[in-house]
Amino acid sequence: MSEILTFMGMEDQYKKYELFFGPNHPGMHGNFSYIITVEGHTIMKIDPDAGLLHRGFEKLVEQRLWMQNISLIPRICVPEPDINEAIYSIAVEKLMGVQVPERAQYIRTIILEMARIGAFLFGFGGIGGATGLYTASYWTFADRDYLLDLFEWLTGARVYHMFILPGGVRRDIPDGWLEKLLETVDYLQKRLYEYDRLIYNNPLIVKRLEGLGRVTQEDAVKYGITGPNIRATGIKYDTRKAVPYAAYDKIDFEVPVQTAGDGLARAVQKREEFQVSLDIIKKAIHQLPKGSVRAKMPNPLKFRVPKGDVYVKLETAHGEHAYYIVSNGSEKPYRMAVRGGSFTAGLVYAQKALVGMRIEDVALWMATMDICPPDFDR
Amino acid sequence: MEQKDIISKIKESFPDSEIKVFDDRQFSVYADKNDIVRLLSYMQMLDFRQLAIISAVDWIEEKRFELVYNLFSYTHIQQVLVKTSVERDNPKIQSVMNLWDVAQMYERDVHEFFGIEFSGNDDMRPLILHNWKDKPPMRKDFDSLKYSNELYGKFKKSEEV
Repeated sequence: MSEILTFMGMEDQYKKYELFFGPNHPGMHGNFSYIITVEGHTIMKIDPDAGLLHRGFEKLVEQRLWMQNISLIPRICVPEPDINEAIYSIAVEKLMGVQVPERAQYIRTIILEMARIGAFLFGFGGIGGATGLYTASYWTFADRDYLLDLFEWLTGARVYHMFILPGGVRRDIPDGWLEKLLETVDYLQKRLYEYDRLIYNNPLIVKRLEGLGRVTQEDAVKYGITGPNIRATGIKYDTRKAVPYAAYDKIDFEVPVQTAGDGLARAVQKREEFQVSLDIIKKAIHQLPKGSVRAKMPNPLKFRVPKGDVYVKLETAHGEHAYYIVSNGSEKPYRMAVRGGSFTAGLVYAQKALVGMRIEDVALWMATMDICPPDFDR
Repeated sequence: MEQKDIISKIKESFPDSEIKVFDDRQFSVYADKNDIVRLLSYMQMLDFRQLAIISAVDWIEEKRFELVYNLFSYTHIQQVLVKTSVERDNPKIQSVMNLWDVAQMYERDVHEFFGIEFSGNDDMRPLILHNWKDKPPMRKDFDSLKYSNELYGKFKKSEEV
């Protein structure tokens, strides 16, 4: 009997197995799946299989008025929804030639940075979850809730805020909100040192992350890897600095970079950017000017956007999130294409990078690369 | 290089191309579909090394699809929209897979949603829409309401139920 089994084991079809790494796996980030061909523990081939989350946003947007879309598009990206409204609003303003009041620009900056911090906290928790350190995910998710409380106070909603509109923001900041935000920022600053002790100085995590999925600068540019992950390879490029939007050109901040390009560098990069975001919020609150928060816009149910097309991209926690918007001068957008920050990393670069890794590294690689399935299925 | 230097370089090598400046960080180049691979590899030589996205626009009244290749350069900090047209009746174009690996997935995506053929790109398995039998859904003549009514039955108002 054992001879037969040994003989069968020599055949290729019994040596290689196909493993479905899908949404029911606790390490998977959302509704997405990889079909992995493994030999033992080693990955031989990886085939991304998207489509479990497709909601047809690009088609739905074409069937709604310019203003109605504001309530639809935040749902494209779940961990960091505010960027969608911001990109859309900036695109509409660019096509219409609307000048946004300065106070609104600063409020946008604060909102975007808060959303960014929320997404980073999700990311820290993801690293903890993928390495079995569940304390990290409990802590970060609980701290993210303090930000959600502030969002609820400001906008009335916890996750999808629809606060940034073409022309500015929906309404002015309520009394006492900024003080509470400063308190929360101070609290998160204190917590960051505890995260250092828990995650970044934890020998187990450091050992797991070191050398994981090293990205070279060439690959990062060629494969369209953006955001904190490209800065972890040593390329000092930040859209907030290079092509400023909102009030980033008026706020002084330094862009941190790492050089190693491996999993640890990517994780540390996000930790450093978390610090930068906290500083930006403090500076924005300090510099916040007075004035109106919304430019005069035409009737929201009737307004038309002049003919033209524009590509607007924003710096987000998982890379360069962008829309390509085409208007034919009518009441509805003619076409809106979404470029998700991790589309290329999760669908194309994964096929190259994950080969040769072990099964247990896939979830951790996805956590450090910030693979976000809504970027594929939009 | 400044934006105007890049534009004059493109104009020199591709005199037929139409260039439209959007702002100081973004411009678009419109070229014939036979020139597109040559133009894109020329842009790659000008250090536009990131292919941000390939997307398509269905101009149904003009009977053409517009393909938009979105390039970015980290050295010049310029976003370029390279555009071309293919006929709607026979949508076929050369693939740019050998210039950028990421083009493979974007072309697969555009093929799935617009039905544009990319010669040279073999892996055109459905990525997002499983068991899709209708016409490509992002085309303007695809009626999503009609499709839904046919597939799932007409939506009934509460009093009709």
